[in-house]
Amino acid sequence: MLKLLKEVLKVGEATLPYPFAPMEMMPGFRGKPVHDPELCIACAACAIACPPNALSMVTDLDQGYQSWHLFVGRCIYCARCEEVCPTGAITLSPNFELAVMNKDDLREQADYQLAACRECGVFFAPVKEIERMLALLQQSGVSAENVATARALFEVCPECKRKNDIPKLASLYQEAV
Amino acid sequence: MVGKNGNRPGVDGSRYAIHPDPLAGQLKGALLKDIARSVYVYRVDCGGCNGCEIEIFASITPLFDVERFGIKVVSSPRHADVLVYTGAMTRSMRIPALRAYHAAPEPKICVAYGACGSSGGIFHDLYCVWGGADKVVPVDVYIPGCPPTPGATIYGFAMALGLLGQKMKAVHHVQEDDERSQLRYPELPSRLMVEIERESRRMAGYLHGKKIAHSFLDILVAHQTDGPGKIDQEIQTYLSQQDDPRLTEIFNRLQQIYQAERK
Repeated sequence: MLKLLKEVLKVGEATLPYPFAPMEMMPGFRGKPVHDPELCIACAACAIACPPNALSMVTDLDQGYQSWHLFVGRCIYCARCEEVCPTGAITLSPNFELAVMNKDDLREQADYQLAACRECGVFFAPVKEIERMLALLQQSGVSAENVATARALFEVCPECKRKNDIPKLASLYQEAV
Repeated sequence: MVGKNGNRPGVDGSRYAIHPDPLAGQLKGALLKDIARSVYVYRVDCGGCNGCEIEIFASITPLFDVERFGIKVVSSPRHADVLVYTGAMTRSMRIPALRAYHAAPEPKICVAYGACGSSGGIFHDLYCVWGGADKVVPVDVYIPGCPPTPGATIYGFAMALGLLGQKMKAVHHVQEDDERSQLRYPELPSRLMVEIERESRRMAGYLHGKKIAHSFLDILVAHQTDGPGKIDQEIQTYLSQQDDPRLTEIFNRLQQIYQAERK
């Protein structure tokens, strides 16, 4: 009996003190995805990668906005979103205390403006995405005036770009013939 | 009659067989007081992968020990105060789920456990899946997770029993007009950045390669003005802290790229 008690005292308490003390998570533990709405460019890479569709995008071409939705209740914490995010806007935090009484508290939303095409006025891409592309061009050493030229190209929707290209292609073709 | 959620089936939607008694709702407060240190839990598996069950059993092991709060898993819904629904609620399990609900004495607390129990999880759009316990029974607490860790289980139960408060809340961000996505390293040449990230990803995989490249570039940026000697020293300190030969290997390769680029 005494021997057993000795053993028990030697081993000590195995039970973790949680919830009376915070639980220490292992490094690399994947908990709730944290979204930094400032960094996000609404490119929808995460929504395409998300296996259970916990992340989704809704595009409203009439109002000109694109909204990013996260429903934590469906998330499987696979970190695919973190993997594909080009700006590092999504990271998986060690937060595991996600229980809720009301299901809607599991939802997150962020609305982003869409840019209207310079020529036809149709909304086609998030403003922040275009701005980031231009910032990247600038960082890679493109001069300010070339960035301005690129801006004029970037702010045109694919449909109008195609239309603008047709006369050029036609003249190229005629030259070739 | 359609519930106030429109077509979305919910607790109040009368498309389903359960009409929660308002009196039973009032009794829930009394129930929580009565069962303060003795909570009997019945687990209903509605088509899950058993990951959630493993975590429930992990949380009754001595390491996490929910039995210190009097939480006990029982084998019949007739003994239960709390019903835990795991699994995505498949078509064939909806009737047994209802039977378990009706077998448990009022007042009772229903918990939707895991991503599948909360919403159908990764199976939400399968033809045979109803998508979450709340499509069939009225749910009081949702514990998301795939599966929820024992910590999340303890937290969820503590919340169901009114011991802890809720931490999550809905977030809605609307873009400001001048909001821009800032570059992470605007002061570094993009060629160097791309080459380092590419090599790191080649060696460590896409996600961890990105993380390793960022920790390398963070050191570069933090000590850019201190000269190459200081950067090497900082990298050595970081590597000895991490104590991982794989990381050292990758960092050495990245340093070679950085030095070649500097010349």
